[in-house]
Amino acid sequence: MRSEEIVLRAEGIRKQFNGIEVLKGVDLEIRAGEVNALMGENGAGKSTIIKIISGVYEKDAGQIYIGGKAVEIKTRQDARRYGISVIYQELSLVPSLTVTENIFLGQEIMRRGLPDRRAMKNRVCALIDTYGFDLKENALVGSLGMAKRQMTEILKALSQDAKLLIMDEPTSALSAAETEKLFETMNGLTARGASVLYISHRLEEIYRMADRLTVMRDGSVVGILDKTEITPEKVTTMMIGRELKQTQKRSVRRSDSQCLEVKNLSYKKLLTDISFCAYGGEILGIGGLVGSGRTELIHCIYGSAKKSGGSITLRGKPLSGRVRRNIKNGFGLVPEDRRSEGFFAVLPVERNINIASYDFLSAFGAFVKRRQEIANAENAIDKYDVRPAMRNIPVENLSGGNQQKVVLGRWLSRDLNVLLLDEPTAGVDVGVKADLYSYIRELADNGAIVIMVSSDLEELTNVSDRILVVREGKIFAELTGGEATQTAVLLASSGIREAEGDAE
Amino acid sequence: MNNKLARKLITLALIVIIALIFGATTKSFYTLRNFQMLLREAAFIGLISLGVSFVIIGGCIDLSSGGIICFSGIVCARLAQMGAPGVVVLLGAVVAGCLCGAINGFCITKLKINDFVTTLASGYVFSGITLFLMFRDARGRIESPLIRSESFLVFGKHINGFYYITIAWIALAVIVYLVQSRTRFGLHVVSMGSSEKSSAMSGVPIGRLKFLTFVLCGAFCGLAAVFTVSYQATTYPNLGGGMGFQAVAACVIGGVVLGGGKGDATGAVFGSVFLVLILNGIYKYGLSTAWQYFIQGGIILIAIFFDALFGSLSQKRLELLSHADEIGTGGETLNAK
Repeated sequence: MRSEEIVLRAEGIRKQFNGIEVLKGVDLEIRAGEVNALMGENGAGKSTIIKIISGVYEKDAGQIYIGGKAVEIKTRQDARRYGISVIYQELSLVPSLTVTENIFLGQEIMRRGLPDRRAMKNRVCALIDTYGFDLKENALVGSLGMAKRQMTEILKALSQDAKLLIMDEPTSALSAAETEKLFETMNGLTARGASVLYISHRLEEIYRMADRLTVMRDGSVVGILDKTEITPEKVTTMMIGRELKQTQKRSVRRSDSQCLEVKNLSYKKLLTDISFCAYGGEILGIGGLVGSGRTELIHCIYGSAKKSGGSITLRGKPLSGRVRRNIKNGFGLVPEDRRSEGFFAVLPVERNINIASYDFLSAFGAFVKRRQEIANAENAIDKYDVRPAMRNIPVENLSGGNQQKVVLGRWLSRDLNVLLLDEPTAGVDVGVKADLYSYIRELADNGAIVIMVSSDLEELTNVSDRILVVREGKIFAELTGGEATQTAVLLASSGIREAEGDAE
Repeated sequence: MNNKLARKLITLALIVIIALIFGATTKSFYTLRNFQMLLREAAFIGLISLGVSFVIIGGCIDLSSGGIICFSGIVCARLAQMGAPGVVVLLGAVVAGCLCGAINGFCITKLKINDFVTTLASGYVFSGITLFLMFRDARGRIESPLIRSESFLVFGKHINGFYYITIAWIALAVIVYLVQSRTRFGLHVVSMGSSEKSSAMSGVPIGRLKFLTFVLCGAFCGLAAVFTVSYQATTYPNLGGGMGFQAVAACVIGGVVLGGGKGDATGAVFGSVFLVLILNGIYKYGLSTAWQYFIQGGIILIAIFFDALFGSLSQKRLELLSHADEIGTGGETLNAK
């Protein structure tokens, strides 16, 4: 039920953080009853514009119109009043309450000082009927699958008369069947005149669901495509822009004897039949969408996740399933979530650097050799230029980039055979990024096998010597040399094999 | 100045101030006898809190120490009454304590039961088992016969007014301090308390380590029971009642922060002295038990509040420091968070 009526129009929205311009005059237009998809690489500004529309951030400049009238959205309450609702994954639902109770949580319909259960139940049933949702009003939210929880979230928004629902990667946690259910729900919404702003990295979903597609890059809208105009090549070109071809290819001293071989690896339902080899001296990039199983792959190799089947061998010898043994054998990990899995926030920098090395930093495996401990920490701080160069301050007081240097520094003093990196530069500023790349490259040059998972296409293509693209728990493509372009990775992530040549 | 050091000095300063006030306002405070008794009592809580400090620093909590002491106490008394030599009684009680700790550790690391719930429940279980083992007269009433085994009663004695329990406490405190700050085991416990996931990713054997902290805690409780039963020359069903709580309180007062990763043995020592000092003062002023509970509870609240405040203050100070460095070196921006 698309119409030309415009629900929301944003004009020239600008926003900067710490002097860095994140949005450079964004124009956005959402029509009644449409699914407007928003795409763009990480850091293109998608989240920021959503947060401005929904009242989380305040814009620096620009104007938002709702139904043709200029409005100021300063808080979430403002946004809600204007009928804008963001559907969060499951965060705002209470598992121990029913669907109805959740929907009216904090805004119960009252009658003589008591919540009017019947009125609330009727209201929810009416909504479920209107939109044709497959949901019971008295079901416990905790017993529902992800798709139905999202339905509950959507109902909650609708009960507050939402006209525009914003969904940020709603399918990343859903199975194929659940995704299907969500799409039905979305169809129900648009059929009744509600609009959806849909953010996704998955091209195939966009082709299917989007009425229009808005593509962002570097804080600006670079194109708006109508349903009929959406093609993979067009979208990826818009997202990536002019791709700089790497002029000089590094000469990689790959040592084939130093080989990590993964054979028919499977892990729960997340990974199936993964086979590949990684070699010393080479940086093997792993691309794919969030949720495709990349992180699980890294953890299976490291031993922090227990593989369900298959084998992993290093120089022909099978690996231990234990982190401790693997570290002894020269494994190192820089995990995705450095705050919870990487460093120890309240402990000083030196402890953070030394934590995995007390096997050689203590006499008889028990008594810590203080002097060597200090020397080891100072060596890493010096080598990786950690700032401030103080070994005694808690790591939480360092910037993201320096925290990451500390986590990487942990493996510096060990004889590294395999270094596993998961989103090594997430939340790291540009200057430090380049430093980190050079340290990683140096470790590879020294003969280590480096495996790097990254969602940052530029990083993935520039830093890796070879790229594997993981899709739905399988290796979908292997890209080497000239094939390893951002476009190719992006297409492969969505299950499209690129034809000959690069896009522009 | 170092934050950790500052925190300790503050506790120490408070101890001195309170001692001065008590000394000035009560008659019998500054007597040698009173100090000896104070230290003996502090040693009882102190030994337990040394054990508990391992658990708390490792990120868990042990509320069962009262029950463990109770159980170890009856093991002591039974062994002594059977005529076992003192050393055997001591070992028996410590083994009994370790056993209790191992049960806690097993439930928490293998059965994955929450540590708070496990130790709250197991404390009652240990006390319950003790009742089965208690001495009873012909009509089945619980009695507390005097223990006469000379080789066991030695543990309750003193040299020149220094009780053996006090000596053992101070010696063990030094050892525990060194273990916590200078051994791989100790550092691993601190890191586990600071972040279990990060520790696991760094190859720290979480399960084994956590199990060990509970066993150690049990061992210290067993030891505390030996000295106390020996001093009193008997045991009773309520031995160690409330001790689980007081030991945790002593740790918290001394800056061993609940949640893990912070504090060490000195904190547990200072906390125990502080707590006993306050209790002694209440007694000296002739205040009722009501005041005892009230003041103890109040102190714990203040200690926790103080740590939160202290934490945020030192955080700010550090941020300023880092910013100063940033300006100085023209380095990169720091995360505000």
